[in-house]
Amino acid sequence: MPPPSRLAEPAAWQFIPRPHGRLDVVDASGNLHLDIDLLRAFPISAPLGPVAVVAPDGSELAWIDTIGNLPEPLRGELLRQLSSREFLPVIDRIEAISDSDPAEWTVLTDRGPRRFQVATPDDVERLADGSAFVVDGSGVRYRIAAIAALDFHSRRLLDRTME
Amino acid sequence: MAGGSAAHRRPPAAPIAERIELLPGERLVATARFDLDRDLHFTEGWLALTDRRLLGDNPASADGATESPDGLHAWLLDEASCLDVRVRGGVGRIELSCAGQVLARWLFTPAQAKPIHVLEDAFDQRNTRRRAPASHGEPLPGGPPLSDTIPAEDAPSAPPAPHPRFAGAEIDDEDPVGDAQASWRSLLRILAFARPNAGMALLGFGLSLAGTVAALVPPYLTMPLVDRVLIPRQAGEDVPFALVWWYLGGLVAAALVAWLLSWAQTWVLAWVSERVSADLRVRTYSHMQALSLDFFAAKRTGDLMSRISNDTDQINNFLSLNLIGFLSDTMLVLLTAAVLAWMNPLLALVTLAPFPLVVWLVYAVRERLRRGFSRSNIAWAEVSSVLADTIPGIRVVKAFAQETRETDRFRRANDHVLEANDRVNTVWAFFGPLVSLFSEIGLLVVWAAGAWMVFQGSVTVGGLTAFLAYIARFYGRVESMVRMVPAAQRASSSAQRLFEILDCRPTVAEDPHPIRPGRVRGRIEFAGVHFRYGTREILHGIDLVIEPGEMIGLVGASGSGKSTLANLVCRFFDPSSGTVSVDGTDLRRLAVTDYRRNLGCVLQEPLLFFGSVAENIAYGCPDAGPERVVSAARAAGAHGFILGLPNAYDSRIGERGGSLSGGERQRISIARALLVDPAILILDEATSSVDAETEVAIQSAIDRLVTGRTTIAIAHRLSTLRRANRLVVLDAGRIVEIGTHDDLLARDGAYARLYHAQTKASEDTTAAS
Repeated sequence: MPPPSRLAEPAAWQFIPRPHGRLDVVDASGNLHLDIDLLRAFPISAPLGPVAVVAPDGSELAWIDTIGNLPEPLRGELLRQLSSREFLPVIDRIEAISDSDPAEWTVLTDRGPRRFQVATPDDVERLADGSAFVVDGSGVRYRIAAIAALDFHSRRLLDRTME
Repeated sequence: MAGGSAAHRRPPAAPIAERIELLPGERLVATARFDLDRDLHFTEGWLALTDRRLLGDNPASADGATESPDGLHAWLLDEASCLDVRVRGGVGRIELSCAGQVLARWLFTPAQAKPIHVLEDAFDQRNTRRRAPASHGEPLPGGPPLSDTIPAEDAPSAPPAPHPRFAGAEIDDEDPVGDAQASWRSLLRILAFARPNAGMALLGFGLSLAGTVAALVPPYLTMPLVDRVLIPRQAGEDVPFALVWWYLGGLVAAALVAWLLSWAQTWVLAWVSERVSADLRVRTYSHMQALSLDFFAAKRTGDLMSRISNDTDQINNFLSLNLIGFLSDTMLVLLTAAVLAWMNPLLALVTLAPFPLVVWLVYAVRERLRRGFSRSNIAWAEVSSVLADTIPGIRVVKAFAQETRETDRFRRANDHVLEANDRVNTVWAFFGPLVSLFSEIGLLVVWAAGAWMVFQGSVTVGGLTAFLAYIARFYGRVESMVRMVPAAQRASSSAQRLFEILDCRPTVAEDPHPIRPGRVRGRIEFAGVHFRYGTREILHGIDLVIEPGEMIGLVGASGSGKSTLANLVCRFFDPSSGTVSVDGTDLRRLAVTDYRRNLGCVLQEPLLFFGSVAENIAYGCPDAGPERVVSAARAAGAHGFILGLPNAYDSRIGERGGSLSGGERQRISIARALLVDPAILILDEATSSVDAETEVAIQSAIDRLVTGRTTIAIAHRLSTLRRANRLVVLDAGRIVEIGTHDDLLARDGAYARLYHAQTKASEDTTAAS
């Protein structure tokens, strides 16, 4: 497996947004790659870190070491593209957490209300920076940006899951 | 049920099957839901596939749809129609296109992935059927059978099994009938753990002392209340009522002070004992981490777990609830006895008469209780052991349909707990009320003697009232002291179990003045190495020099000593005689952890810990940045599939590697070994748990891993060792042949026999299939 070509000259790559949310790219040597994907390698621990440019078949076309260091407007365009293809709802309020097993959570997210099941307490992960992640039974992840910023009701429910 | 979590607060859209208006002769093939709109907000909508059309609620984007009368968007399908489903970064996308032209796109969360893949499969089958009109397969009414979209789950990798040969340990295992003195000694040792919090402990003791004194005040105030106020008043004397207020005030004040003191005391003691037991837990655990592998081989996981969790908790309870309580009880008993003697020595003597009997009883029962609790703790450990055994091994249990048998095994262990507790309870049930009886008798004795003395005029009614109040307190405290006995015995038996771990010395001892090796070159020399376990000699004099950067393949039957040799290089054990040296220094002279930083291990069962993929790869070097993690993963051939995980390198993997396949887990463990850039690499059956195809993929990763490192590889599959510079053939703990593959084949000895046996076996299987 040859190492993928680095985006040594990211400016030389041309990202072309297409209808239906598609994204094409013309690489430094002028080859056109259709319907590519952008994937953050560390979406949680380093969201502005490395990003992989991936072909439709999943193979890696290029690797951007630090997306945060790219020159504008490329950086802005790629971040916009990433946010339109990433799904990480943020929980704004926890309405209820049932006592059943698995626990059923009723929440308000920035993407609308949602009810889901959380299999084990391990699926609620508090990070050192005061944020938290919740993974539901089907693998969808939810983020709590700052536990301290939640209202009292939500925090009390969340604390109860940590016992 | 994949859709189980998608229940919504908004009124859900009616299932599409109820809304759809089919064309004449049209047949519904599959339906599925999507749950995201174009802005990735939650929504609710349906998709339906018929044999002619694809219909759906509002797509995220669409071209060329015909609005059908039922309000759904519809697309007529033809041979050029194409349905593409892709899940990346936590979002699924289903795209309908025709001749490369995108027609519609819907978005969904992984919660809907399963039914959508079913719809996709149905779509593909529809196309194949069209292309092959001769096909007579009748389509299933509910769509085609479920496609298996869940990654193949390999056998869960249990924690590396302790080497069965090294059973037995430094310490004697539980001896329920130990020395009675030991129980008090171990409790005293626990107190040593309170030293960092000695200030708070002393404060707690002082508070309980003050509380005790405060509790002695009220009865003393009742005496003048009766004698100087109530009785003279009844006798017709003129006593001002203000005096009653005065005494009552004193009683209230004493009660309030006693309450405040006991509040403070309870809080302080709970604070101290939590810290003592937390400290005990951490010290026991860190000591356990320092112990050698043979300790773990001899102990059962469940037993160790129960010692660290259950036993420390017992001690915590004892310290916070019982110990200082016992001390303050003792003081109160002594003080009360003194007050009683001072008030009326004769009455005191009568009162205290049953007391020695109680002391004797306590003494008699103590040893029985300790033995009982010891048995009970062992029985508890047995229960945890069954759990620790069968929960990781649940696949084996189910595969062999042994659920009933495991339940029986659990029930038996549980019955042991029951039996042990029953025994303790029998003793306790008899003993507790007996003490109550003694205290009742004590009280009756005081009433009898007191009444007689009132008649004689040698004691006042007030004096008798106070006496009775004191005596009630006295026996109340005696009872609670007695109740302390089982708690103390339970705690001391727990303490002994903890000290058994703390007193264990690692068999691989650190040199008192170790050499810090830094980065080694990797020249390994075995000189006359014997290894014995118990009476069994496993290695009989091994002499071997491995040059830096050389790859050695260890070959031989099971039990020939291959793994032992690798374990000696890791210094998991020390040789019984002879030396293993690295770069000319005896391993025993090197600082153990510094030396082990030079090692990388890839084992047969890649054990991954609970955490993210990146954390697992960086396990040996937690400070490694994303670049090093990614480059290690690339070299291990793991980068591709990691990018495909829902959160790439930040995806969490469970304790047993969860959703990853055996080959994927192995590649992560290779990346883990690569990241530490070891000078010496141990490959212990690294590829034997994966299939031949995955082995090829892993092999190239291993080839990259071994370059430039001293490598010791163990493999049954001889093809794995093709890159080895030399092969060392072991038989029953002796080296029988050394040489390259070709040399050894030409020699036509043990290796040649092994090799031919394997190639013949693989030819047989190919021929058979």
